[in-house]
Amino acid sequence: MEYDNTAIIFMVIAVVACVLGLTFFGVYCLNKIVDRNVRASGSAREP
Amino acid sequence: MHLIPQSASHFHLLVSIFPSIGLIFLLGFYVTALVTGDAATKRGCLLLFGILGLLTIPTYLSGDRSMAVLSRDPKISQDLMSTHFGWGVTSIALLALTGAAALIELWRSRHVERLSNDALHLVLGLAIVSLILIAVTGEVGWEINHHELRLEAAPQRTPQAWSHVHIILNHFPTVGFVFALAFYVAGLVVNNVVMTRAGLVLFVICAILGVPTYVTGAASMWALTGVPGISRAVINAHRDMALLTLFGLAFTGVGAWIELWRFRHLGRFSNRSLYLVLLLAIITLGVMAETGHRGGQINHPEIRVATDILPTDPKLGWSPAIESLINHVIWFVPWQTVHFFGFSLIFGTVLAVSLRVLGFWKSMPFSAVHRILPLGVFGVVMNVFSGMLILFADSARYLNAPTFAPKTALITIGAIAVLYFSLSERLWTVKAGEEAPMSAKWVAALVLLSWAGVIMGGRLIPYV
Repeated sequence: MEYDNTAIIFMVIAVVACVLGLTFFGVYCLNKIVDRNVRASGSAREP
Repeated sequence: MHLIPQSASHFHLLVSIFPSIGLIFLLGFYVTALVTGDAATKRGCLLLFGILGLLTIPTYLSGDRSMAVLSRDPKISQDLMSTHFGWGVTSIALLALTGAAALIELWRSRHVERLSNDALHLVLGLAIVSLILIAVTGEVGWEINHHELRLEAAPQRTPQAWSHVHIILNHFPTVGFVFALAFYVAGLVVNNVVMTRAGLVLFVICAILGVPTYVTGAASMWALTGVPGISRAVINAHRDMALLTLFGLAFTGVGAWIELWRFRHLGRFSNRSLYLVLLLAIITLGVMAETGHRGGQINHPEIRVATDILPTDPKLGWSPAIESLINHVIWFVPWQTVHFFGFSLIFGTVLAVSLRVLGFWKSMPFSAVHRILPLGVFGVVMNVFSGMLILFADSARYLNAPTFAPKTALITIGAIAVLYFSLSERLWTVKAGEEAPMSAKWVAALVLLSWAGVIMGGRLIPYV
């Protein structure tokens, strides 16, 4: 099956956007969990 | 296929890896227990030394019976078997002694709080000497049946050194996982933080070791292609399961690492996450057992039974299908791009964390830069999967590139060294304006150099 350049560029952008989007969302969630727990317990364990 | 051994040789292959490779992991746990001074972990390790000591009995008996059976096989060298037997008896006798010393200390100290330091050091010394002897025994043991290791390199597409490394390396994630699971479950049952963290660390290390194991496996496939008596269809069946194992290892490893990272910031675990890691680990161990069994089928005709139906079509399976898909260039392009983004994330994270440890940006406490580590870990995950797909596209060419083996070794070193940032108590307490300890600076330099080497090794593949 033949693809033109536009299709290839679109495919690269779509795949990279999905993978990086998931990655940044994962990092955001993890930091949010830490922040929430630190706030809830009232004291940060971080020095 | 049968997972339960039905011959002495099959049983010997399975049971002998625990006193040998298991001893390395147990020594790791034991040193951790001695360093942290945690009494429960020390006792757990002594019990495991005792169990390994007892395992020497079935190891000896099954080895003796396999020797009787294999001595009738003209392809098996009697000299090699005798040498293996001699070293084997010496090493397992010493391991049995180690186990006995550990059990005696456990029994002696049952009513007292404190274990004797002399006894603990005696067990450590005996275990280290046993390990050295076992390494020699194991090396002679591989050679008994693995005739391909002595083949001329010319007809194969990759050197047999890869097969040799794979035969040794594949046992590390498998046996390591069993030990990690044992410690992890014990840690959860007795609610011991040191044991639970040690189990999580070992899950992560096994996941990292999965990468060189998979790569050396792919290289061994080419080294074994065309060797009489070895079926490509059986290899592909093993590859399919190995692919699933790689996924299982990655999910368990990332889950375990996130728990270690979170523990650092909050000082406690999330029960839900701990049980999720446990579930993933149990599933992965099951898949890994089948992968190992299929791997054994490749070159151990002595473990096959009449009811075994081995695959015969080399084109069947997921691995050849993915190979075919990725070879249609259009599917290859996005994963190359993802691979470069993955390296950007890894190197960016490693650079920021390492430079803080080395003395830059001292206005920030170490805990602040520790927060960004997940970005690098997700970069590693991106690159393991994209790298695996890229490897599928033209594995023989990549594996023969002179910079590929160093690259794989540096990935392993760099990824394991990063664990230090989440484990060191001294580093964690580095406040704003403070210098990191010298040991941490050495680790930071190692991490930085390793990942720089990985990128350079990768980029040089098309040119050297």
